[in-house]
Amino acid sequence: MTGPRPDPRWDVVIVGAGHNALVTAAYLAKAGLRTLVLERRERVGGAADTAELAKGIRVPALAHTVGRLRPSIQKDLALASHGLSLVAPEVRVFAPSPDGTAITLWSDVGKTAEGLRSSSEHDADAYPAFDARVRALGKFLDEMGRSTPPDIKAPGLGDALSALKLGRSFKGLGRDGSRTVLRVLPMAVADLVAESFETDAVRAALAWRGVRFGAVGPWSAGTAAVLLSDGAGNDGGAAGETVFAKGGPGALSAALAAAARAAGAEIRTGAEVARITSRDGRATGVVLADGEEIAARGVVSGVDPKRTLVDLVDPVALGPSLGWRAGNIRTPGVVAKVNLALKKLPVFPAAGGDAGLLRGRIVVAPGIDAMERAFDATKYGRWSEQPILEATIPSLADPSLVEGAKAGTHVMSVIAQYAPYALRDGGDGTPSDGTWDAQREPFGDAVMAVLEGVAPGIGKLVSHRQVLTPVDLERQYGLTGGHPLHAEPGLDQFFVWRPLLGHARYRIALERLYLCASGAHPGGGITGGPGQNAAREILADLRRRA
Amino acid sequence: MPQRYDAIVIGGGHNGLISAAYLARAGLKTVVLEKRHVLGGAAVTEEIFPGFRFSIFSYVVSLLRPEIIRELDLPRHGLDILPLDGTFTPVPEGMGRPAPKDGNGNPIGTGDYLWRVNDHGRTVRELRRWSKMDAEAYEEYGPLMVDMARFIKPILAIVPPDPASIDPRPLLPLGGLLRAFQKLTERQQAAFVQLMTMSSYDFLNQWFETDPLKATMGASGIIGTFQGIRSPGTAYVLLHHYMGEIDGAFRAWGIPKGGTGGISNAIASAARANGAEIRTEAPVARIQTRGGRASGVVLESGEELEADSVLSSVDVRRTFIDLMEPGSLDGDFEAEVRRFKFRGSSGKVNMALDALPNFTALPGEGEHLRGAVSISPSVDDMERAYDDAKYGHFSRKPYIDIVIPTLVDPSMAPPGKHVMSCFVQYAPYNLDPSLGGWDAQREAFGDAVVNRIAEFAPDLPSKILHRNVQTPLDIERTTGLTEGNIFQGELSLEQLFFSRPVPGWARFRTPVRDLWLCGSSTHPGGGIMGANGRIAAMELLRAKRRGPGRRGRAA
Repeated sequence: MTGPRPDPRWDVVIVGAGHNALVTAAYLAKAGLRTLVLERRERVGGAADTAELAKGIRVPALAHTVGRLRPSIQKDLALASHGLSLVAPEVRVFAPSPDGTAITLWSDVGKTAEGLRSSSEHDADAYPAFDARVRALGKFLDEMGRSTPPDIKAPGLGDALSALKLGRSFKGLGRDGSRTVLRVLPMAVADLVAESFETDAVRAALAWRGVRFGAVGPWSAGTAAVLLSDGAGNDGGAAGETVFAKGGPGALSAALAAAARAAGAEIRTGAEVARITSRDGRATGVVLADGEEIAARGVVSGVDPKRTLVDLVDPVALGPSLGWRAGNIRTPGVVAKVNLALKKLPVFPAAGGDAGLLRGRIVVAPGIDAMERAFDATKYGRWSEQPILEATIPSLADPSLVEGAKAGTHVMSVIAQYAPYALRDGGDGTPSDGTWDAQREPFGDAVMAVLEGVAPGIGKLVSHRQVLTPVDLERQYGLTGGHPLHAEPGLDQFFVWRPLLGHARYRIALERLYLCASGAHPGGGITGGPGQNAAREILADLRRRA
Repeated sequence: MPQRYDAIVIGGGHNGLISAAYLARAGLKTVVLEKRHVLGGAAVTEEIFPGFRFSIFSYVVSLLRPEIIRELDLPRHGLDILPLDGTFTPVPEGMGRPAPKDGNGNPIGTGDYLWRVNDHGRTVRELRRWSKMDAEAYEEYGPLMVDMARFIKPILAIVPPDPASIDPRPLLPLGGLLRAFQKLTERQQAAFVQLMTMSSYDFLNQWFETDPLKATMGASGIIGTFQGIRSPGTAYVLLHHYMGEIDGAFRAWGIPKGGTGGISNAIASAARANGAEIRTEAPVARIQTRGGRASGVVLESGEELEADSVLSSVDVRRTFIDLMEPGSLDGDFEAEVRRFKFRGSSGKVNMALDALPNFTALPGEGEHLRGAVSISPSVDDMERAYDDAKYGHFSRKPYIDIVIPTLVDPSMAPPGKHVMSCFVQYAPYNLDPSLGGWDAQREAFGDAVVNRIAEFAPDLPSKILHRNVQTPLDIERTTGLTEGNIFQGELSLEQLFFSRPVPGWARFRTPVRDLWLCGSSTHPGGGIMGANGRIAAMELLRAKRRGPGRRGRAA
């Protein structure tokens, strides 16, 4: 059936209320589009979530810092006025070793360099230049991240301009800078840090962000690009950002939802989308799990691209070729989350009694080889017996998280790698019996054992422990493969081909179907970037000419 | 009074000889200086045991550019490439499916095998034995890869542009490439992007489920690199496999008659016929510079030679760190040269055999031994072999690519006897210090290789008359290849195209005026391809026509 159809009640319906979807909703509503957001869970925010671990004790459920959130989004959506309050501790990273030594990265570059001097003059001298380089390349990647990937098939005027802009920022790097970008982006992060630093512990502490959330080790090509992108658009530099939202990441989601509602968007929770409907290759709306049909001029997916295309879109409309490609989008989740309630603040001997050092990200990555060995296990379907950890104790900066609990209580949020989504029984002394439900607590114990190594006695302080495996992340947050970034941040799923070549411009598979979350350029993390970019493209298509 | 030439070529490897042949053909007075008594560098044939001749290092050919064969008329100079048919992968009992049966339903042998041949129909039937899905996927995969190879082939003949250059002209070929790219279907474009960025395992995993198939095909993605088949960036090497041309036929591999030295001798003969002078046992000690330009070389004998141009076919580190006067280089450039990664990862075991080994999965001296025998039974085995190397040990159960040249070229051994060439990964140049270095580990490594093959051919040890083990250290000592890297520098993404060997210096020129690179350290990398030597010579001749003063790196 063709010809004019009755104008539906909604201009856009957005599937999922993760932080990117909320960003898109707010921008679209601000621009006057009648916007409806549908969230399967009872709470908005997706992976930017604060959960109650025990009575009066709240913890960052998955993501724990929000420092990559684009400043322009905070400004445009007046998030402060909607209740967002950020805390940025002086210390960015504290990386303790079992031998009682530690690497500390501060927001102050000079202070960091001086701290490194005790272990290596060479590294201390190299740090400021490395930091400057990370910032310069990050600036370029930020510009790249803010632009819609060019359409290589038919470069139109807009693309020519954006390409030009990119070209200028590329030139802005200077001749050697631009050569450096091309040489560095595909590199292994282990090689990148080794070019500047001689101390293994320093290399590991800096390289961690290159492999965080990815199914890769520090020796994998392309991990340098991940490290550099992590600093794009924020003042992370070599140390990386460490910024907490008061009330946990869920407070950011709440502020975004408030901004979206204030702009006129409607947000329905407990509303699970079962299908995206389409006619003649054009998205027409959604059908909820309870059968309710909702029509709209455009459909925006805030869920990952694989789930969007494989589970929600009609396979016939998708076609076999694109269906095959969508089925091959790589989503190898390797991250588990361990959330702890602690009766009192744990003691890290390497911190020498200075609790201030514990306010940043506590990274336990003993060395490049140790990280690589932890990664090796995933290749054989096993979890790392010595996982790499990034822990935070947000209650130090934000006591409100534990205000309902006994005095002295703290919460610790631990990102643990590597824990592959698909476990298998290697039959060679593997700890895996193939199912996470049986492996959940054993892996939690492995994480605690690593923590004991740097904070002896921490185990006895634990009053509550929650272990979220990749399978749990998929069940609770709908992340395919339990991948926190919606799709692996590899060179094969990057920029013009994230998530798929020919579908990287936020318009995906069907006419009037859009992708607005981490599976789209510039990728995952709490940045709001994909959501902001997608809103710009959606408005270009759907804005009502008054 | 030193002898004077138009061009001096350092190193008599295949690329150096090819450069010399083209320069001499253009009328330049050219001399090639080779340190060894034999020409060919890593493409040499030597009789290391009486009556047994070996392609000691490089052992098969598929990438030698057809235009070179044509333009230098190599067949007339004795080049004769014998086809190598198929790849036979034995799979141990229990890992594969039940052993294949003969006509009467009796098992043929113990264990299973995957046997791919150049006959497409037969290969598809064999794959169907493993997986109907894979057999169907193979019908799609092959043509797609051939299209990809056709698309990327022109890149092998391109002089990489400097993306940072203000001069747009060198970028023009990229424009043509983009237009060609736009003509591809979306699916082809996507596949190409994946080939340039993915791991060979991830790429193949989209098509195939059969483990030995993924392991064996994926193996071509890691040859000569310090990467595993699951390492991003290895997929594109799969393309090289499909780019190999023999008489224009895609995907054919072959053995040169008389070993890989046969190729080098044919090229040398062509170079001499064009008037080039070739001197062996003439090791170069130093590249002479005068007023910031290369003016000639000094041999270790003290003899001096002068030339308008010096071309180095040895790797970039040897050229600039070992052969240049210390301190004569721009500091940044020297730093970038020192940063260039070699990381030799492969070894070679050459065996003289009393008789052919018997592979239990398919007993007898069948034609399955006339191609490559690939010891790559599973993806995990391939990956574990890499893991060993990552932490400074040679693979305890290595990946091995076996070829038995005497089956196609009996002249390599006494009647009835055989030579067996085993290419082995991984053998990291830098061993863990606790192992005491390669001189202490050489035979242990050789034993690991023999034992690994014996898992599939238990009678091999009893058939070995002589064994010659080439560790990365030996390869470096003999051929001069830094860290024993067979490609004169790792083929990792950040060391390709306009970043090879040094970003901004990928156009065969160097910061030292009149000093050129023409070896595998340059685009398009290693393998017996010859493109490097040919393009470098063409660039030098073009520059001469243009007259002096033009530099490679945009000023």
